[in-house]
Amino acid sequence: MRTKYPKKKLARIIIQGLFLIVFFWLLIRTGAAATETFKYSDYFFYFDPLLLIVNLFSTHTVITIFFLSLIPVALTLVFGRFFCGWICPMGTIHHFFSWLFRRGKKKVEQVDHKLLKLKYVILTLILVMALFGTNIGGWFDPFSILTRSTSIVVSPSANYVIEETLKEGANESGIISKGLKPAYEFSKKNILPNKPRKYLQSVFIGIVFFLLIAANFYKRRFFCNYLCPLGALYGLFSRFSLLNLDVDKGTCKKCNVCSADCTYNGSPYQDYMKSECMVCYNCEDSCPPDSISTKFSFPAKGSINKIDLGRRRITGSIISGIFFASLPRFSGTSKSRIHNFERPPGSVKEIDFLDRCIRCGECMQACPTNFIQPALFETGIDGLWTPVLEPSIGYCEFECNRCTQVCPTNAIETLALEDKKKFKMGTAVVVKDKCYTYADGYNCAVCEEHCPVPDKAIRFREVDVWNFEGKLVKVKQIYVVPDLCTGCGICENVCPRSDSPGIINSAEEEQREFEYY
Amino acid sequence: MKRREFIKTSTVTATTACISGIPLFPEGGVDPVSKVTGESPYEITKKGVELIGGMKKFISKQDIVMIKPNIGWNRKVEHAANTNPEVLRAVIEMAFDAGAKKVIVMDNSCHKSEDTYRRSGIKDAVVKSGAEIRFSDENRLVVHQFNGEKLKRWPVFRDHLEVDKFINVPILKHHSSAGLTIGMKNLYGIIGGRRGKLHRNMGENIADLANGFKTDLTIVDAFRILKKNGPVGGRLSDVELKKTVICSKNIFEADVVAVDLFGKSVDEIDFIGAGFRRGMGQKDLKNINIVTFKI
Repeated sequence: MRTKYPKKKLARIIIQGLFLIVFFWLLIRTGAAATETFKYSDYFFYFDPLLLIVNLFSTHTVITIFFLSLIPVALTLVFGRFFCGWICPMGTIHHFFSWLFRRGKKKVEQVDHKLLKLKYVILTLILVMALFGTNIGGWFDPFSILTRSTSIVVSPSANYVIEETLKEGANESGIISKGLKPAYEFSKKNILPNKPRKYLQSVFIGIVFFLLIAANFYKRRFFCNYLCPLGALYGLFSRFSLLNLDVDKGTCKKCNVCSADCTYNGSPYQDYMKSECMVCYNCEDSCPPDSISTKFSFPAKGSINKIDLGRRRITGSIISGIFFASLPRFSGTSKSRIHNFERPPGSVKEIDFLDRCIRCGECMQACPTNFIQPALFETGIDGLWTPVLEPSIGYCEFECNRCTQVCPTNAIETLALEDKKKFKMGTAVVVKDKCYTYADGYNCAVCEEHCPVPDKAIRFREVDVWNFEGKLVKVKQIYVVPDLCTGCGICENVCPRSDSPGIINSAEEEQREFEYY
Repeated sequence: MKRREFIKTSTVTATTACISGIPLFPEGGVDPVSKVTGESPYEITKKGVELIGGMKKFISKQDIVMIKPNIGWNRKVEHAANTNPEVLRAVIEMAFDAGAKKVIVMDNSCHKSEDTYRRSGIKDAVVKSGAEIRFSDENRLVVHQFNGEKLKRWPVFRDHLEVDKFINVPILKHHSSAGLTIGMKNLYGIIGGRRGKLHRNMGENIADLANGFKTDLTIVDAFRILKKNGPVGGRLSDVELKKTVICSKNIFEADVVAVDLFGKSVDEIDFIGAGFRRGMGQKDLKNINIVTFKI
């Protein structure tokens, strides 16, 4: 029974939809191969105060543009957690699935006060760990999760499904092919990338994303209410917000209709919690006797119930934060003098890189050749999902600096194209047991052909080699000029050898480590 | 082979050849090779085709025409790594003027296609001329029988097999493993799969590839040529202006003339020797009917 037109709720849904579209549009533009440089792809991150604080704690500096995130904070002090309810694209997705899973059921669910505290514990942990040098903000930050999941899982998966469905349309024979042909050609031209994207951690990241969505079955907007550290941060501010929910005790029939739609499963008329309220206007619009309204009041008041973490929980999370932050610092993996992974061009020194990187995957989305891949544990356990270079999948395009343009936290610093061409990510190393010109004694040169450095970092020398027939023959053998090699990895990528490449891309002499010594 | 079989086969072959008009032995020098020099890549291309009989000789009305330029690398026109877009524009216009129903431009790039098509300037030129630009689509690979000595079969993009006419528009440039890349080597762009595997015995493979696939016209863009560090190049000092276009019906003889223009001897280039052994044409310049013109 709806007595009135839900104006405010409708406005919210429209705005949520708009921001969701803008978010995905920016992300798709970032990944579009035809884009030379796209400057606005990381703008959502600049409005994220969590990243401002976390990166301030971990790097002790602030990137000026992140002060934009004080705008939503200021607005929160007026309107409460409107950001979660009206803007956040991650929230919108969870909102949608929460609604979808409960469609047609008006069931009152119980608010879980204990679980609500979890996100504050997570926030404390993240901040304390950042202060002690381990930045894990990106694992929980909603924008990071959504960007990462979309670029590494959702969009490649959608592309794959479309291509698999219509694939038959690539052939000429048979009724099915003919029928699918127009659809196939349309999607190839307008939707699908020329070559499908591939990502190493697609399964892992996909499962995490799936579980986050599926958790909405259990509780409404599970991630937002119980896990999101950004939500927790806004929750802290919204306690002081001027906008309040006002329940007219006289007309309220305690019918509980409002609880059935509350984003945090609360009952606004009996335990309104300002820090959890996302200002979604569901209760106001659904209240049969119109007892619920919103009012501004100064000084702030109105919360019937408060979340109290308690001294023990706070102390506990601070101490465990310090403990956990220290663990990867002396584990040796990421701090070892020797490592065999490369970072994208423009990356800062490893120790700073881990402080800055928020694992959002913008660089992976921007990379036209799929060279940039999310790491598992190869850079240390705290380096999970940070970008590493994978020559078996892609290579660094010489005439491209897109990844350096999109990094929101400057873990990959912006490089002009000319500077990027000179940036040394690593060095190619010939594997003499595998390379045809050494091991088998015949000319090959695919790597030399592809080497994009104008002065050629891979060259030939003519030598006598005992070949596979036992004859001594003249072979144009390849060698690498380390000073010219940028470590772009195209040589390893194109090496025709099937078992393992005859030339590998390594972090040897990488510029970012050298500059500091 | 038994004597009887031999007599039978040779009689049948000879008769068929006489009736259908196919020369029994490849007669080089029959098809003229034009070599035009001038300031405008567009003009010399038009003149070059005109000198070997005009586009109408190669394209019939309502033909679907495939043009295969070299769009291999993410480099600009000045670097001479890809076919000159002006040359391509002239070819597309001539094809349409000769009555082609549809003209498709396509290559299997070494760098990412979206980038190479754009930076080479070819995408713009093609779209403006009204032809269709197409990416190589791995779903459209079919195994083609080349039946060569080394190269028996290899996956080819079916787009190239389905068209009526195939015009090969390579650029002349240095190539570190093949020596040079011209018309025959340019056909690497019609195949898919792990092409790097064909670098062993490359000369033989190139000859088998070009011998096992029918091309109707070859137009070699030698306006800018890359003298060193090919095929990718990237250094302007390696580029030389030759301001020439070479046109021929015979892909092999166009290559022979181009090798000479580059300043190399045909004996240095493996695939020329291999092609000659396969009877693809004459490798001696004296036996080729070269028409030279200067604008």
